Formats: sequence, structure tokens, C-alpha cells
Amino acid sequence: MSDIRLPRRRFPLITAVLATASVAVAGCGSSDSSSDAVPGGGGSADAAGLDAVYEDAPVADDELILPESTMAEIKERGVLRVAAALDAPLLSQQDPSNPDDVEGFDIDLAKMLAIYILGEPNIEIVPPASETREALLQNGTVDVVFNTYTITEERAEQISFAGPYFTSGLAVAVAADNEDISSIEDLDGTNVIVGANTPAVTAVPEVAPGAEVTSFATDPQAVQALVQGRGDAYVQDYTLLLAAAAANDDIKIAVQPFTEEPYGIGLPPEDAEYKDFVNDWLEQIQDDGSWAEIWEATLGTVVEGDAPTPPEIGSVPGS
Amino acid sequence: MTAVIENLDPLLRALGTTVLILVVSAIGSLVLGVLITVARVSPIPVLRGAAFAYVQVFVNIPLLALLLLAVFALPDAGLLMPLTTTVIVVLTVYEAAYVAEAVRSGINTVAAGQVEAARAMGLRLSQTLRHVVVPQAVRAVVQPLGNVMIALLMNTALAATVGVVELTSAVNKVNLVAAQPIPIFTAAGLTYMALALAIGLAAGRIEKKVAIHR
Repeated sequence: MSDIRLPRRRFPLITAVLATASVAVAGCGSSDSSSDAVPGGGGSADAAGLDAVYEDAPVADDELILPESTMAEIKERGVLRVAAALDAPLLSQQDPSNPDDVEGFDIDLAKMLAIYILGEPNIEIVPPASETREALLQNGTVDVVFNTYTITEERAEQISFAGPYFTSGLAVAVAADNEDISSIEDLDGTNVIVGANTPAVTAVPEVAPGAEVTSFATDPQAVQALVQGRGDAYVQDYTLLLAAAAANDDIKIAVQPFTEEPYGIGLPPEDAEYKDFVNDWLEQIQDDGSWAEIWEATLGTVVEGDAPTPPEIGSVPGS
Repeated sequence: MTAVIENLDPLLRALGTTVLILVVSAIGSLVLGVLITVARVSPIPVLRGAAFAYVQVFVNIPLLALLLLAVFALPDAGLLMPLTTTVIVVLTVYEAAYVAEAVRSGINTVAAGQVEAARAMGLRLSQTLRHVVVPQAVRAVVQPLGNVMIALLMNTALAATVGVVELTSAVNKVNLVAAQPIPIFTAAGLTYMALALAIGLAAGRIEKKVAIHR
């Protein structure tokens, strides 16, 4: 008897646990999607706007997909494998309540490239630890990197860069009540927070040799550390800081961009055909205005003014 | 490899930080862990309950969650400690739970008759624990404690996520400039392996030295 009764008794318990779990999950989901911490993240209007861009997106003619090239391989596979972040607001942000929904400037461009090759925005995102991007390209795990990937000559020895497709720069945020820091020179002798594996790690010691640098793994952590007074200033990409300052009244931007970071599209090394192909595509979407439309729908939601002029392709050493 | 050699100075300093975190947390967690075990086998119900709760809490919460809470939530509660200190404290209390579990299994190897004999000879509880139970229990679990210490070494790498410049954080920085992830992270991995082997060998040596030959 008891061996029959036991499983019966378990069912209500299991159902109760499942119910609790699903309530908890639902709770998380709703609180996440209603928060404004990620500007532009849940904008359905933006997404609808971009649908039109996707529909009119250029598609490569068949003769451009050279036989036995990387492009042909991608077309055969039917999906473009992209290394992109999932936690960069406005650039490449995953919706926590809907993991398939990733939005932002980087990822929208990746979808445009997928349309160009495949005819549909079919991408598979490989979250790259940014420290392993070169290895992912070299061993063929991904076809392309869209990951605020600053073009440097050291990196260009390992892989190829198409673009640059965007130019940004590092700026400085401070606590809202901080009046001591108003220029980059003021950083000397202070404790500066940076994001781990961002260009700021090397840029801050160059412009302010006397500054102590503390790096945090993610952007929200760095903002929290700044608010809590673990550092005097936070140096990060200007667009990310704008998004953070828009969502958080406790911080403000104290110094406008003081570097130029040309972002490139990371491609496997020594594949000139593929690089030319991607550069051609980039030129097309810049000329037909879809580059600007994507900028407006993403970064443009926090930056004042019209879309900037895209940087000239191949204008940076290493590209 | 050249990238590693060119940046040897900051990397060695970072390795020093890793070893500092390792040594201080190791000593702290061994002491705290033994105290928790003693509480867990004591005849006082409140102490037993508290020790049980301590172990359950720290064994069942991921270390990264504890680290993030300590670094970002404690300042809101008014306690702002330097980052390295915070990491050492968190690693100490976390690993102490594992040390306590290891030592408790050692205590189970001490025959109940020995405790009865100690009492019969007139030893007080603290004397029984100090002279009879704990020395034998710890000797029995030298190798498992070595494994806990190796796990502690690996866990120090999480300090990189909260801004401490230890080995993992430093190799990330070198790679950011040099863009050669495979040689750089291999070098870091080999360094961790060498440290872990050293801990393992030391544990083996100590075990042989203190073994009880019955």
C-alpha cells in the first residue's frame, strides 16, 4: 500500500513547487520588462521601425557569393554565427524575460549582414568573453564579431577588421554631487573605475598616470561602485555612460569623450574576399541610409542630434 | 609567450595578490571551520543548530552571489571595506563551511569509546575535544582539506569580477592589449596548476607525517 500512496502524495508537493517557481519566474519577468534601466531595450516602436529597414535591406547578388568562399559556407549553413555581447544596453542587449530578443546597434547591423548573405536575419549569437574574440575568429567558431571591437594594430596582426563601422570615445562619469572633476587632468591622483576588458583599462593610465584603476566585470557593477563611492570617477564608452546617466540620477557626465575608438567588424584572418565583401555591404547600408536609421533607433535614443556621419571604411591603421 | 614575458612585473605582483588572498583565507577558513565543527558536535543544542545553519547557508549559496552581495550590498548597509579585504572575508567564511564538513567526517572516524574513556578519566569537554577528538579528526582528513584548499585557490579567480587585481584580472588586462588569448590564458592556467600541485603535494607530505599508525 505504502508504495502506491507515496507517489500520490508527492504530486501535490511537486505541483506546489512548480507553481511557486513559475510565480517567481513570472515575477522576475514582469519586473524586468517594466524597468527603465535599459533605455531603448523594450521599445516596440523601435523594433517595428526596424522591420521596415530589414525588409528593404540589401541582399547580395548570387555572383557575389564566390564559390568555396566564407560567404558560400555561411549561405550553405543558413545561419550567420556572430560573437556579440548580451549585456550592452543600446548596442547588444538581451531581453531577460525573452532571451530570443536581442536589440541594439551592433546586433541590428549583424542582422543586416545576415540578410545580405542569407536573405533573412538568421543569426546565432555566441557570447564572446571579450578576452577570447581573436581565438573565436581564428578557430572558426564564429563568422563575424560585432562587439564594440576597437581596431588596434596588435589585434589586426591576429585577425582582420572590416570597417570601421562606428566611432565612439571614452568619457568620464562622476557622482552627481562631485564638482572636483571637470577635465581629464583632474583624474590624476584619484581612484578611477573602469569596465574590465574595455579600452579604458589602458587609456586611463595614459592620460592620468597618477590615477589608481579599479576594474569591474560589468557596466551595472561599475555604476553601482561609483554610486557607493568605491571610486571618484567611471571611465567608459560615451554612449554607455549616456545610457547609464539617463537611467540613474546619482551620476552625471563630467568630461566629454577624450579618445577616439574606431569600432571594427572582426573577421577571420587572411580572408581578403570575405573582408571586401563585408566592406562592400557596409558601404551599401551607409549609402542607402539604413545605417543611420539603425543608429536613430538605438544609440540615437540617448544621444542628442542627428545620426553622425559614419567613419570612412579603411581609414584606421589595422582596418 | 612574449606578451607574458614583457608584462612579467605586473603579472608577478598580481600572482602575489592571489597568494596573499589564498594564504590568509586558508588560515582563516581552517580555524573557523574547526570551530564550527566543534560547535556542531557540542552538547549545546543552540550551538549545534547555529553551526548546522551556517554550513547549510554557505554550502548552498554560490560564491559569486556572496561576493557580489558583500561588495555591492554591504556598502548600502554602511560597511565599505577595501575590495581585497572583502574578498578575503567572503572566501574565509565560504570555505570554512567546506572545512567544517571535512573535519566533521574526520570526527566520525574517532570511536565513541575514546570520548567515553576521556570522560571516565575526568577530562572536561574542552579537554576531550582539544586532546582527544580534534587532533585525530584533523589527521584523518588532511587530504580532503588539501582539496578544499585547492578549491579555495581556484575560487580566488572570482575576485577578478569585483575589481581585485589578482592573477586572472591581470592576465585579462595583458590580453586586452596583446590580443593573444591562447598563450596568455594557458600560462595563467599552468600557474594555477603549479600552485594547486604544490598544495596537493604538501597535503600528501603532511598526511604521511601526522598519520596515526595503529
